[in-house]
Amino acid sequence: MSLYDSIVNKIREIQEISVEKEPVTNLSASAILAAEITLISSILIAAIMLRNINIILMIVIVLALFVALIAATPLMPRLKKEQNDSFNNMIFYVILALALILALFYWGVRNV
Amino acid sequence: MNSLIPIMVILPITCALLLNLIHTKERAVKILAIIVGIALPIIPLLTSYGLHYFGGHAPLINNPVLAQGLPAFLTETVLNIYHPAITYIFSSAQQLFIFILGIMAFLVIFTSLNETKRASGVYAFLMFMGTAAVTAILLSDDIFNLYVFFEIAALSQVGIIIASNAERSYETALKYLFLASIAAPMLLLAVAFLLGVSGNVNITDIIYSINTGLVDPQNPVLLMACGLLFFGWLYGAGLPPFHTIKSAVYSKALPHGAALLQAFSVFTFVAIAIIILRIFSFIPLAKIFIIVISLLAMILGITMALMQTDFKRLIGYLAVGELGYIGIGLGLGTALGITAGLFQAVNEALITSLIFIGFGTIFYKTGISNINKLGGLMTENPRLSFIVILSGFAMAGIPPFNAFQSKLLLVQASITAGLPELGIIMVLLSIVTFMTFMKAFYTIYLRPKPSDLEINDKDIPKATVISMVVLLVLCLILGLFPQIATSFLEPFAQGLI
Repeated sequence: MSLYDSIVNKIREIQEISVEKEPVTNLSASAILAAEITLISSILIAAIMLRNINIILMIVIVLALFVALIAATPLMPRLKKEQNDSFNNMIFYVILALALILALFYWGVRNV
Repeated sequence: MNSLIPIMVILPITCALLLNLIHTKERAVKILAIIVGIALPIIPLLTSYGLHYFGGHAPLINNPVLAQGLPAFLTETVLNIYHPAITYIFSSAQQLFIFILGIMAFLVIFTSLNETKRASGVYAFLMFMGTAAVTAILLSDDIFNLYVFFEIAALSQVGIIIASNAERSYETALKYLFLASIAAPMLLLAVAFLLGVSGNVNITDIIYSINTGLVDPQNPVLLMACGLLFFGWLYGAGLPPFHTIKSAVYSKALPHGAALLQAFSVFTFVAIAIIILRIFSFIPLAKIFIIVISLLAMILGITMALMQTDFKRLIGYLAVGELGYIGIGLGLGTALGITAGLFQAVNEALITSLIFIGFGTIFYKTGISNINKLGGLMTENPRLSFIVILSGFAMAGIPPFNAFQSKLLLVQASITAGLPELGIIMVLLSIVTFMTFMKAFYTIYLRPKPSDLEINDKDIPKATVISMVVLLVLCLILGLFPQIATSFLEPFAQGLI
């Protein structure tokens, strides 16, 4: 199955459980493909900034991310599913973010 | 005239209250709203830079006559320089931001009064109240006063969403309010912690306490306050994880309301980020966190925008993504980076408003925001569609528009700071932004018109066209002469580092 087919199937799968009923058009499939490429390339370029900490670490993480992201493709339909208007999802990520931020600033600054 | 500093907040609040009282008298509502709307951008231009102490309570060091009769424990200690009253600071950056906010508030109110069948005093009340609150957030040097106006701004935004009467707008407003009930108390807790460790709510005094060792910079309560302040900032600006609700908020408001709401978010983002940089610049993690969260906002906002079929939601996500550019500039922490970030804030507020109002004309004519149900609208009004496509050029950073200058500065700042990767990501995401915009533009204006699409006969109000032209001209002026804005921002950025 080609990458394009797997993306289209994933969109269909998500739309079946979504309230919105939208047809899968060429435009929506190519938009998701473009978003997918943008997401992967942005994350990989951002990971290159780890060279400021350690070059070996940067190489390992970039390679690991590349393999993981390609293996997990398509990511965007999953991301869209997670970032829907469900209040439960919103609250979950808000609380998670609060916990991470406090852990970072409270323990991270003092102990790292 | 420093006495004009509080007028920038008091005038829109007073106007809002009066509009609420006379909301049944349509003509009076229109006249009052237009007069005060015109005054909003003029007042910051007439006001001289300086400080305003509410109640006239200046620090003792500035008042030698009063200090003469006071005991030594007041005049010969740090209490001599502390600010006893709520203090507002008005400098070059505030002047530019409040001027731009004033212009936008005026244009949005002007547009809304002409687009709606019957002028609503209550709706205008909400817009003036929100404008006053965000102006106060930009001016205040008192973190508790900032919190109070932060809450007022949030409530005004909820009101603006509900007033739209759009489908499920009540639900979105309620969700936004629930999330506010988590984020706002956290911000208040941050204020309480800062007060607890420094004995002060004045930001300048808190910074003095930290810099002079009166407060231990590694105090865990102070670090906790930093984290909580960051959390409040994420909510106020609509950064991840609040980007989903923020884009929903924009999509449920009327297009002109959404234009003002995104301006509120942009200026709240800037105001709180500046406070974080002022107080917590000694924590390296603070700047890293700003960069990481900004990157996340850019990537999530712009990629999610690409997948939307509702053009209001699409612009909402693009607006969230564009916030990331501002954050990158501020997070770099250099004078060039901060100047570029602040310049980008001004540009984003203008361009996104133009896009909201521009695409709003489609909603006005069809009542539809789903791009799959639209098409062929270029023939309806070619001139307006030309302005809309120019707004897309502006957002993507195409010369000669303003965002080109600010994005170029941002790329230069990232290269100078030794992080060219950020520059590459910003260029990449600008291309995707343009692609996203063109996808919406093509489906709405260029492809064949669907047979079942109904377009009403109402003409686009002249006020809407005037607002779009004014915003486009401002984008063009700032693109051709960026020094008009940067000359206001550079001294401020120099003072921050």
